[in-house]
Order: sequence, then C-alpha cells, then structure tokens
Amino acid sequence: MTTQPILRVDHLKAHFRSSYFGVYREVPAVDDISFDVAPNEIFGLAGESSSGKTTLMKTIAGLITPPLELIGGKAQFSFMPPETNLYGADPAQLARIRWSKLSYIMQGSMNVLNPLRQIRSIFRDFAAVHIGGSNSDFETKTVNHLSRLRLDPSVLDAYPHELSGGMRQRVTIALATICRPDFIIADEPTTALDVIVQKEVLGMIRSIQREMGSSVLFVTHDMGVHAALTDKLGIMYAGCLVEAGRTADIFNAPQHPYTRHLIHSLPRIGDTVQRTGLTGTPPNLANPPSGCRFHPRCPLASDICRTERPMMRQIATEHRVACHAVAGDDA
Amino acid sequence: MKRIIFDLLKYNNEFRIGVFLILIVMTMAGLSFFSPYPPNDVFVVPPDAPPSADYWLGTTSRGQDVFWQLSIAIRNTLAFGLLVALLSRVISIVVGLSSGYLGGWVDRVLMAINDTFIVIPLFPILILFYFVLRDSMSTILLALIMSSLGWAYDSRLIRSVAMSLKTREFTGTSVFSGMTIFEILRREHLPYVLPIIFSTTLNNMNWSIGLEVTLAVLGFMDINTPTIGGMIYWANQHTAIVAGIWWWVTFPVLTVVATFVGLYLIAVSINEYIDPRSRLSRMGGGQS
Amino acid sequence: MPAYFNFAIKRLWQFVLVVFIGINIAYVITHVTPIDPVEQSISAVTSFGNTSPEAIADMRRSLQELYGLKGDWIEQYISFWRRILQADFGPSLSAFPAPVTSLIARALPWTFGLLAFTTLVSWSVGNLLGALAGYYRNNRSLKFFGVLAMALHPVPYYIVALSLMIVFGFIWPVLPITGGSAMDVQQGWNWQFVASVFHHSVLPALSLIMIGIGSWFLGMRSLVSNIITEDYVVYAEIGGVAQSRMMGSYIIRNALAPQVTGLAMSLGGIFNGAVITEKIFGYPGLGTLLVDGVYAGDYGLVLGVTSIAIIGVSLSVLVIDLIYPLIDPRVQVAS
Ligand SMILES: Nc1ncnc2c1ncn2[C@@H]1O[C@H](COP(=O)(O)OP(=O)(O)OP(=O)(O)O)[C@@H](O)[C@H]1O
Ligand code: SF4
Ligand SMILES: [Mg+2]
Repeated sequence: MTTQPILRVDHLKAHFRSSYFGVYREVPAVDDISFDVAPNEIFGLAGESSSGKTTLMKTIAGLITPPLELIGGKAQFSFMPPETNLYGADPAQLARIRWSKLSYIMQGSMNVLNPLRQIRSIFRDFAAVHIGGSNSDFETKTVNHLSRLRLDPSVLDAYPHELSGGMRQRVTIALATICRPDFIIADEPTTALDVIVQKEVLGMIRSIQREMGSSVLFVTHDMGVHAALTDKLGIMYAGCLVEAGRTADIFNAPQHPYTRHLIHSLPRIGDTVQRTGLTGTPPNLANPPSGCRFHPRCPLASDICRTERPMMRQIATEHRVACHAVAGDDA
Repeated sequence: MKRIIFDLLKYNNEFRIGVFLILIVMTMAGLSFFSPYPPNDVFVVPPDAPPSADYWLGTTSRGQDVFWQLSIAIRNTLAFGLLVALLSRVISIVVGLSSGYLGGWVDRVLMAINDTFIVIPLFPILILFYFVLRDSMSTILLALIMSSLGWAYDSRLIRSVAMSLKTREFTGTSVFSGMTIFEILRREHLPYVLPIIFSTTLNNMNWSIGLEVTLAVLGFMDINTPTIGGMIYWANQHTAIVAGIWWWVTFPVLTVVATFVGLYLIAVSINEYIDPRSRLSRMGGGQS
Repeated sequence: MPAYFNFAIKRLWQFVLVVFIGINIAYVITHVTPIDPVEQSISAVTSFGNTSPEAIADMRRSLQELYGLKGDWIEQYISFWRRILQADFGPSLSAFPAPVTSLIARALPWTFGLLAFTTLVSWSVGNLLGALAGYYRNNRSLKFFGVLAMALHPVPYYIVALSLMIVFGFIWPVLPITGGSAMDVQQGWNWQFVASVFHHSVLPALSLIMIGIGSWFLGMRSLVSNIITEDYVVYAEIGGVAQSRMMGSYIIRNALAPQVTGLAMSLGGIFNGAVITEKIFGYPGLGTLLVDGVYAGDYGLVLGVTSIAIIGVSLSVLVIDLIYPLIDPRVQVAS
C-alpha cells in the first residue's frame, strides 16, 4: 500500500486508574495497540464485551477524561498537523476538525441526544457551523439527508423521547454523517435495531461511505456484520489487538486461536457437528493473566505463553497476528 | 456500616470535620451529668459576669453559669432532635418502602399525601398547635407533633431508593432462589437503604433542632426545659445583646451552629460515599 | 394539548388535596384537642391586665361563635370551612374591631414582595454560581464559595438573622434593624417611601438570601457535576458544540428541571424562614402578624394567617407545577 493512512494508531496505551476510598484499581483497557486505517476504507473491530473496544475508540477520539488516562503511544489523523494526538490538541484546532473531519457515533445512542432539545436544534448545534448557508438552506439539507435514512422531516420537531429507539439510532447516524466527515467512528451503531432495520441501515452506511469517500472505524461484536460490511478487521481480546488484516483473509484463514474460535462459532448452513465453545471465562481486566492474556482459555497454550507476551507479527500481506504458536516476521 | 465509617474517617475531610464538631458538642452534652448546679435553679452564681477563670463562658443575668447551662441545654436539644428523627423515621421508612416496592395505586395515594406534607408550611401549623395548647405544650409533645409532620421529604428519598433497588437484577435471582420477601428485604436491600436512612436521620435532626430553636426563641415552647432555643429566649428577655452580655447569646449560638454544620457534613459525606457517580468527582473528573 | 390538560388536572387535584389536608389539620388542632381554645384565649388576653367580668363573659360568647363551637361537630366542621372559603375570620381581638381579613390584606404585599424577591434572587444566583462551580471545578473563588455555602446552608434562619442584626445593628450600625419603612415617611407611591422600604428590607432580604443561596448552589453544583458525565454532554463535546450553547442548552437546561421541582418543594420551608425573619426585623408582613397574634391570643388572626399561608404556598406551588412542562416536556408523557 502506498497511500497515506488517514489514521495511524501507534502503540497506543490507555488505562483506567482509580482510587476510591483506598481501593486502587488499574484496568489496562487499551494496551499497546497499533493499526492503520486507509482512506475510503471500513475498518472493523471485533471482540467480546469489555475487551476495550469503546475505550479504544474514545482514546483515538481524544475523549480521555478521568479515570481514563493516556499512558503512551499515538493516534494520528492525517488531517491533523503531524505528531499531534487529538487529546490535548489546541481547542481552536479541535473545533475545526470536529464533525467536519471526524464524527463519532456513540455506543448506546439512547442517551446521546439532549433530552430537552428538539432534533432540529441538535442538528443546528452540531452541524450549522460547518455547513454554513442560510437557515432555510440548512433545513433543506437536513431534510434531504434525513430522508436518506428513511426519516420523515417531522422528526425535526420532535424531542428525543418522542422517537423510537430505532429512529433515535438513525437520527444519530444522520447527525454523524451530515457534514460528510473524512472519518467516522461508529461504536455499535446498529445494535439496538431489529435485524431488518439493521440490514437497511448498514446498507445506508455503506452507500453513504462510498459516496463521500470517507473512512469508517466500525465496532461491533457481531462477526456477521463484519463479514458483510468491513474491508479490514481487527480482533481485540482483553485490551489487546490480537489479529488484524483484510476481512476476507481473516474469515478465510484465521490465525489466532481466539479469532478461529470467533469465526468457527458462526452458524453456517448445513452445520451438523456441535461446535465446541470456549472454556473458561473472559479475563478480569483489573488483574489480567500474565504473558498472553488468552492463555488460560487457549487450546494451544505452551509454557512461553504464560510468561511472555506475544508481539504482533506480519504473517502475510496486511495480515498480522500476536500469537506464539503462529510463525511470522516481526512487524 | 462499620466499614463505611472507617473509610470515611480515613479518606473524607468533610466527614472528619463533621465528626470532630459533633464529638465536641457531645462531650459538652455529656458534661451536663457532672454539673454542680441543678439546671433550673437561678441565681446560683453572681449574675452578668464575663468569661473568666471561674466562669469559663461567663454567667447570665439570671445568675446561671453559661457553661453548665449550655451543657444541659445542648443535651436536651440533641435529645429532642434525635427523638423527632427516630420517630419520624418510622413513618418515612414505612411510607417510602411500601410506596417504592408496592407501586401502583398504593404508591399514588401515598405520594399524594406525601407531597401534601412537603408543600404545607409547617411553621404556622406548629404555631397553631402552641396557640391551642399553650402551657400544656411540653418538649415531648412537640417532638411527637413534629415527627408526625416532618417525615415526607425523606420518605420520597427512601421511595426512590426502593424503586431503584426493586429493578436491580439480584432481586430477580433471589426471588427465583426461593427467599421470602422479608429475607430479600433484610439481606439484600437493607444494606443499601441503611446508610441513606442514617443520613436522612441527621438531616432531619437539623430540621427539627432548627425549628425547636426558632419556636423556643419566640417563646412558643416549654421554656422551662433548658434548651439552646430556651437559653437564647431568656437572653432576649433580658436584652442581653443591648446590655453587652454577649456571652449569653454567643456561646449557645456557636454551639448550635457547630451541631448544624457537623450533622450536615456527616450526612453529606455519607451521601457522597453511597453515590457511585460522585466517585468520579472524587478523582477530579469532569472539566477543569 | 390534551396531554397538557390531563397534566394540569392532575396538578390541580394535588393543589386541592394540599389545601384540604392543610385546612383539616388546622380544624383538628383547634377543635379536636382536649384543650378549650376559648379559655386559652381568654387567659392569654386577661393575663396582661384587669378585665372586668362582664367583658370576659362578652368575650367568651363572641369567641365561642368565632370558633364555631355551636352545634354538633358536623355543623362546626361545615361552618369552619365556610368561614375559610369566604375568607371571613371575624374581627381581630388584638386590633379590635378591624377585621382579620383587612389586617392580612395589609400584611400580604409585604411578605409577598420580600419572599418573591429573595427567592428569585437566591434561586437564580445560587443556581448560576452552582452551575459554574460544577463545570469549572478547579476555580478557586467558586471553591471558596462552596465551603462558605456548606457552612452557612445548614444554619437556621433565626441564627443568621440574629447575627446580621448584631453586626449591623450594634457592631456597625449602618442599616435599620426594625420596621418596614421609616416612621416619619408618608406611605404611598412616593420616592421617599419606596427608598425607605428598600432600605429597611436590606437586612431581612439579606438573611433570607444568605440561607437560600447556599442550598441552590450546592444542589446545582452536584447536579452539574453529574450532568457533565452524561452521554449527551460528552457527545456534544465531541461534536464541537459551542461552549456557550453547551453551558446553556445542554448543561444548565438539564439541571434546571430538578431545581424547579426543588423550588416548588421548598416553598413551605421558605415561608417558615420568612415568618421568623420578619419577626426579628419587625417587618410588617404575615410572619410578624402571626407571631404577634399568638402573643395577643388573637384566635381569628392566627387561624387566618395559617390558612392564608397554606393556600398561598400551595397556590405558588401550583403555578410552578403548571409551567413545569415548559422546562421539561417529558413530564406530560410520563404522568
Ligand atoms: N469509567 C470506567 N472506569 C473504570 N473502568 C472502566 C470504565 N469504563 C470501562 N472500564 C473497563 O474497561 C474495560 C473495557 O471497557 P469497554 O467499554 O472499552 O469495553 P467494550 O469492548 O466496548 O465492551 P462492550 O462490547 O460491552 O461495549 C472493561 O473491563 C471495563 O470494566
Ligand atoms: S500466544 Fe499462546 S496462549 Fe496466546 S493465543 Fe497464542 S498459543 Fe494461545
Ligand atoms: Mg463498547
């Protein structure tokens, strides 16, 4: 690949550190994660609940408030001056890129809309500065954009509590795309929708993304969605990125034992054999296992796995894995 | 509960200040048992003496030692506040828990009555009581009246806690595991409700003591039982401020202010301990 | 609109209930207690001096009529309500023969003015400062104000008023400490009178504000420090919503709803505070009237002020309740 990535995440580390009435807790929710996202690409991120997906998104977006702390590494967007994270960037700079270059769809969009504000005003608050033009121009643009997500113009007059969960989710998606940003972070944007609406909305995200040429960082634990939507895929386990590559490659030839488990547990037509589940429970991130964090549940675990943490290694073009049992070049 | 107090003492400044103030006030109240003078006797010491080595806080125009008078007064005032708080707790807990757990029309009826008691201005009602009862008004009777009027605010709070507990998951599981309702309440809900009840107790004490002081100052109370309000009442009767007998007013006021601030700080810090959201701010969360 | 209509009906019911229960409490106190209020009043009045036996008998008769002690309890109860609803509390004993109603009518504007002004000031200033303190947590002067509020807020009205009185009446006597206006100024709409009213209301207003502002400040501060962690605020921050918009329409706007409810719920307590503050500063409002009525054994006056207080406070609560949906459109659906 010769094109510049639009986002380069480089050894990013962010931990939750809290001390509350004498109880100290440190949760390494984002631990040494690196990957690139190219322009015009949908990068998917999968992993079970509490593996740190949301925390990673927030860290990348510079939303680092206590108890979350940035420990090290970078998340560099190409539209930012070199060597600057969003976190700690100059506020004027941030105001310029927010929503016009980078937008975010938060997980659980039930509460992301101000309950005491009409949808019209919310759109104005977020987007009017970037879109400009007269009020009626803005209104027309908004109505047109809403219609792409099958939303009636009347939602503009509604308060969030007057909309259904699915409508609210679509409003959030509309809000995140109306300024045609270069980069969209979407954290479980379709989880609250029923299957049919979900399919429709995914299709719309795809077509909007294609049309605008933006990049999307798409988080979901639903492997089926990844298969259908994403170009690249990263697999997270217990705060670490364990495998990353082209979605097709990962689905065809998963390397990491955890990825294999995820993909093989997908139901397929013509299944006859009972699929074996993963033994053990997800690790407690406040006290993660030594070495490879997957070793207590890994069928391939050996001695080295218990003591030494596996590094990400290149095993094929654009395919990296962090596992002692998989041979490859250091990445 | 023991754990909470220990943690608070160790990590919370407001709690420490509060406990410190209350300890001083309680020591003062405890000393009343060693008073050399019977509390209601007058002219046992030279009147109008300023604070000195003999009379630490001075003496009153009625020939009482302010220090010893104050110790019995704060004891009675605290006991009064405690009595009102304990009695009214019974009503708030019963109303709050039944409203919160039973819901439905019970909740609606109880809350309509509850809100009525929140809205009604109680002071004129208390005055009306005094107006009718006059000399029959005793401290105990006033405590009874006040506790039957001053429960509503806290029962709303207890109700909201009960409602949030009701929907928590563990209630579901323990219902399936066959615990009786009583057991569920005692084992799973009481530990959450208890600290809140404790902090409402303190706030209610502040409320009732404040009203008691006010009523007594106006003379609308049994002024022969020494209380903080009663002391200020007698000082006003002798126009102590104009006469320059400042110690007769200042020390009771300081003592009762220490009580108010102490109780309030303890209540606030317990609330903060219980509220998981305030943990964030403890760590300096939010904007800077 | 039908949603609002239903909502309004509900609030109206609550208002009726409050007045009903409140007035019934007053009835029970004055009629069901074992103490004979007539003899109580007579002894209160006669204890001040020599009154002839005929006058006492006269008084007993008119008092019995006033108290509605004639007939069985149903008749008594009905006549009690009739008097309240007609706002007819008979002649005042202490200001005979002026009717109680006219005394109340004279005092009411004073109390209303004082309370409306101080409540508005302490509510809005307290909330504004509290919002700033919750948002800018590390600001030195706001932190200091917080400590001050913590120390002042739990102190009862009486103590604060007394302290102000000592400071400005004796230690540094620059403000009038008693009355509603200067004695030598003609009451009416002239400049001198208005100035005098303001001058005299400084201390009572100050003590009411000092107590009130702290609780609004503390309440708002903790509300705001919770609201800034809400998803919609965090989201607006990522969305680059302008600071002023954020503060106004996202943070304060959302904290306002509980504070308005809080205002409705504390009006009763605020009135209690006004009673004692008025008495201390000799302010010619309902509070002074009430307390003096008790001293003078004036039954009609005490009952009248109590009833007016119950009705007035619940009416103000009703007004706040009715405008509440403007602040939070969700309630109409919820209720
Ligand atoms: N505010 C917080 N304070 C302390 N720990 C936190 C906080 N938020 C999240 N964590 C911890 O960080 C870890 C990662 O959480 P995160 O929300 O990133 O998971 P996730 O992968 O997005 O899960 P899900 O699929 O359920 O959304 C979890 O172990 C969680 O307990
Ligand atoms: S490093 Fe070891 S424990 Fe970890 S996934 Fe690979 S084989 Fe399993
Ligand atoms: Mg998540």
